[in-house]
Amino acid sequence: MHSVLVANSHFFAAGLLATLQISAISIVCGTAIGVVVALLRYLRVPVVARICALYVELMQGAPLLVVLLFCYFALPALLAYKTSAYWASVLSFSIFIGAYLSEDIRSGLRSVNPKLIQAGLASGLTYLQVLRLIVLPIGVRTVIPPIIGQYVRLIKFTSVASIINVQELTGNALLVNARVFEPALILGFIALVYLVVCQAVSLFGRWLNARFAVRT
Amino acid sequence: MHRDLIVSGFITTVELASISLILATMLGVVIGTCGATGPRGLRVFALGWVELIRSIPLLIHMYIWYMALAMLKLPAFVCATLALSIYSSAYVAEVVRAGILGLPAGQAKAGLACGLTQFQTLRLIVYPQVLRRILPSLASVFSQLIKDSSLASVIAVADITYQAGALDGLTFRTFEVYTMTLVLYLVLVSIVNRLLGMLVGASLRSSAHASAAKSSKELRDA
Repeated sequence: MHSVLVANSHFFAAGLLATLQISAISIVCGTAIGVVVALLRYLRVPVVARICALYVELMQGAPLLVVLLFCYFALPALLAYKTSAYWASVLSFSIFIGAYLSEDIRSGLRSVNPKLIQAGLASGLTYLQVLRLIVLPIGVRTVIPPIIGQYVRLIKFTSVASIINVQELTGNALLVNARVFEPALILGFIALVYLVVCQAVSLFGRWLNARFAVRT
Repeated sequence: MHRDLIVSGFITTVELASISLILATMLGVVIGTCGATGPRGLRVFALGWVELIRSIPLLIHMYIWYMALAMLKLPAFVCATLALSIYSSAYVAEVVRAGILGLPAGQAKAGLACGLTQFQTLRLIVYPQVLRRILPSLASVFSQLIKDSSLASVIAVADITYQAGALDGLTFRTFEVYTMTLVLYLVLVSIVNRLLGMLVGASLRSSAHASAAKSSKELRDA
């Protein structure tokens, strides 16, 4: 191990922890947004579904960096509230990834065989029960791979938070680099860390898919 | 004066995105083809390369070219182009590989059996069919690339996001500036999507035309 990495290991550890924390909170919130938006659009709730479609369209056409800057600078200026870089990044990652997740989940919901829904209704379940017990579990389980793909994307995206001075892995690495100036070593090292984290999540996703995917 | 900033930023974004798009496509097609049809060693290398490139955030790619390889003394625009091209090429390669593997194996074998060389088989038989199938996923990779190009602003490439920051500093019209930036990206992405959608439509029409012609010929022969 190189001495620079060892001497600053607690910086990298704290950064990695923050990266994982931001990713985890954003994944939870983003998934919640994704499920709700996907359901609203799946059910074609009159006006709300239109608004959700607009939101998804907007997020899919916007770069993450601009969404981040928007949440950090523009939204607080417009709505007159104070935010921290940390929560602004969590907010932007959640709404950004939520839009992409909702598209994946919606395609999963739509792939559920209509006969299953009819069978559920025929056996006396209410429509809400059919949604909760049949459509959602089957629909979501068919789209595990793209959902995990979005999670991996999100983890990589968290590096962008360093631009608004969030102290996550990339941010801390840049700070260390500013002090000792060993860019090749430090960037190579955090690239490796991201690689390991992303591959671990992908592996977990593959296991999840093998365990839970709907076999047809 | 503000208009000049916006226009120059927009042009830089278009330049950066279009150059990277071409480079990423070329690189991605080569890597994807190696990953699908190359000899075993090359195939493993291509797969590993794609996994490696995709697992590292684009921002880190940018910093690696800009800071870690600073001894090359590349201008920021070139660094951003290289980072964006290499990063996106991994996604293009995945799409191309999946497209080639999705093609019935008989197609390439028939080409080889007719005495075409490996390269001719790819060029005349495999690529035209693969291109039609992968255009939609390619379109989403391309619009991703355009959006990702905003990260170049971090290494001081004066693209539209960078100019938005400058404009915000000049005018303090934060909300207007960032809304405008969002809209400009939306416009750019939807233009590219529209163009590729037209391409998809045209290729579908031509293939439908071809298959219609073929079936009528079969009817005549029968």
